[in-house]
Amino acid sequence: MVRVQFFGQVRGIAGGKETEVVDCPDVGSLFSLLSERFGHQLRPESLIVMVNGRHIAHTGFLETPLESGDLVSIFPVIGGG
Amino acid sequence: MAEKMLMRVNLTTGAISREPLNEAWLKDFIGGRGYATKLIYEEVPAKTDPLSPENKLVLALGPLSGSNVPTGGRSMAVTKGPLTNCIACSNTGGFWGAEFSRTGNMFLVVEGKAEKPVYIWIRDDKAEIRSASFAWGMDTAVSTDRFLKDVDDEKARVACIGPSGEKLSKIACIINEKGRAMGRSGVGAVMGSKNLKAVVVRGTGTWTASDPEGLKEALRVGMQKIKENGVTSQGLPTYGTAVLVNIVNAVGGYPYRNFQGGYMAEADKQSGETLAATLLTGKKACYACPIACGRGTKVGDKEGEGPEYESLWSLGSNCGVVELEPITLANYLCNELGMDTISAGGTISAAMELFEKGFLPASDLEGGPEPKFGSGEALLYWVEKMGHAEGKLGKLLAEGSARLCEAYGHPEFSITVKKQELPAYDPRAVQGIGLTYATSNRGACHVRGYMTSAEVLGIPEKLDPWMTEGKPGWTMAFNDMTAAIDSSGMCLFTSFALSADDYAAFLKAGAGFIGSTEEMMRCGERIWNLERLFNLREGLDPLKDDTLPKRLLEEPLPEGASKGMVSQLPKMLPEYYKVRGWDERGIPTEAKLRELGL
Repeated sequence: MVRVQFFGQVRGIAGGKETEVVDCPDVGSLFSLLSERFGHQLRPESLIVMVNGRHIAHTGFLETPLESGDLVSIFPVIGGG
Repeated sequence: MAEKMLMRVNLTTGAISREPLNEAWLKDFIGGRGYATKLIYEEVPAKTDPLSPENKLVLALGPLSGSNVPTGGRSMAVTKGPLTNCIACSNTGGFWGAEFSRTGNMFLVVEGKAEKPVYIWIRDDKAEIRSASFAWGMDTAVSTDRFLKDVDDEKARVACIGPSGEKLSKIACIINEKGRAMGRSGVGAVMGSKNLKAVVVRGTGTWTASDPEGLKEALRVGMQKIKENGVTSQGLPTYGTAVLVNIVNAVGGYPYRNFQGGYMAEADKQSGETLAATLLTGKKACYACPIACGRGTKVGDKEGEGPEYESLWSLGSNCGVVELEPITLANYLCNELGMDTISAGGTISAAMELFEKGFLPASDLEGGPEPKFGSGEALLYWVEKMGHAEGKLGKLLAEGSARLCEAYGHPEFSITVKKQELPAYDPRAVQGIGLTYATSNRGACHVRGYMTSAEVLGIPEKLDPWMTEGKPGWTMAFNDMTAAIDSSGMCLFTSFALSADDYAAFLKAGAGFIGSTEEMMRCGERIWNLERLFNLREGLDPLKDDTLPKRLLEEPLPEGASKGMVSQLPKMLPEYYKVRGWDERGIPTEAKLRELGL
């Protein structure tokens, strides 16, 4: 089981702060599943997606593998300081 | 813009004068931070005590302050900082800067020291030194109202100090419009040392572009980018800067309990999302700002502004305090007492660790609550004592964490660079920001080169926060660009949407004396090097001072996504000196200075 957390405006799309998924071997399949579940096309390239705190840009993007116990965090593009 | 002047007020002699701006300095240093640093470098003698009458305080605008470019209302205090003994430049938003611009002035240089508490009242090209005895001892909110009454003009704008600045606290700031701050490095104490309680301004002039048609086009392009950018059009307006809490925590870089950790399990309870759902009463925008990241908030019957991300973290996670209410009240208190929130939280967290480890004796609390991590009651009590510099511990807290921890014989618990408290990103989890902290000319600071933008937020490129390769070059680019933006009078937050070309276009059409992007970036580099020269002249020792606290270099993060990591600063620092054109000791070479005309 993989935990998926949502932040910022993504919580509005997901209808909550967190969900759980199974049978998603990588980030690409996770996004297909979530888009279907929420009825909203989620585009990882226009979001900040982290697996266990690492941005997927540094771990293989959509091919980033997922294993049971992983934590995926999905943020909108944000800034501040 | 061309007719703007420099006003001098000598509080020792009472002399007031105005003079034209130095055109060569404008071309070389743009204005604001750059121009004022040049003035301090030239006019304040080497090794001057920052709290002596010989130090000068410059309240400065950029050439775009008061214009209609987006966020064009910034102002800043530039001086030799009492916290760091380095150059200080503390930058604020709000409306004071735009009003000061309407007086026809771009700089106010305050010299000397008044015999009794005074304030300066500037109305267009005239200025008066007036008694401020009636406001001495009052907090910044009450003082602001009293000054507006005294000048009998509700449209005037007030920048003032609170009790903290009066008591010469080294972490005192200058507050304008009750909730915006020229925050860092103790600039409020410099005002206090001059017996200057406030500068009140009111102007009737207008700002004119040197090329109005060119500016229209630059505005069209820039505003479109700000509107289309997710950060400036959605993230910041909806959640404010506190939107960063969860993401920085997710990478394991949200410092916890005086940097003993980099992850807080309950972080979402103090996030921008939670703030928006609970205490938020409305968003607030500074002058000419289309972003509106400011937060109007309410706790019980008390209303105020903030907390911003940095304040929320320093008074919250770094002190182990979870709930938003005490954090927000502590933030209000800092504003009222006139204290830098980052240094205030960083100093109280150091006191908490001293107490936790048994190095701060209970007898020094003089009946106050034990400064334990997680105690909102202790946070509020000690912020108050620190702001008034009251009691044994209150007096020590007002000196900042470096001097506090030295006094208790444990300097290792002060998480500072050049005696200034670190901001809200742990350099063990985000490597490049550690290089910024270590080399920042005003002591530890995130807005002297906001590497977090690239390393965590992926703007303008996605850099791996764990890697060190290429970070020195990126840090230098962020340093120089930031120096140019600060000097222009615009807000750094526009840089999430705008490029260097956009700023250069604003400066070219608005001010006229910057011709290209390359020229603007060269000004940024020149400013950075001049600040470095100032610090070296004042005694900065790069081998000793361009570093990070031992904890961050040697103690691995105990939990979170970056568990096990330490800062790899030693890998980056030599390359940083090299890309800067400095020698291996961190000193600008003759060739570099010649190239920059310094």
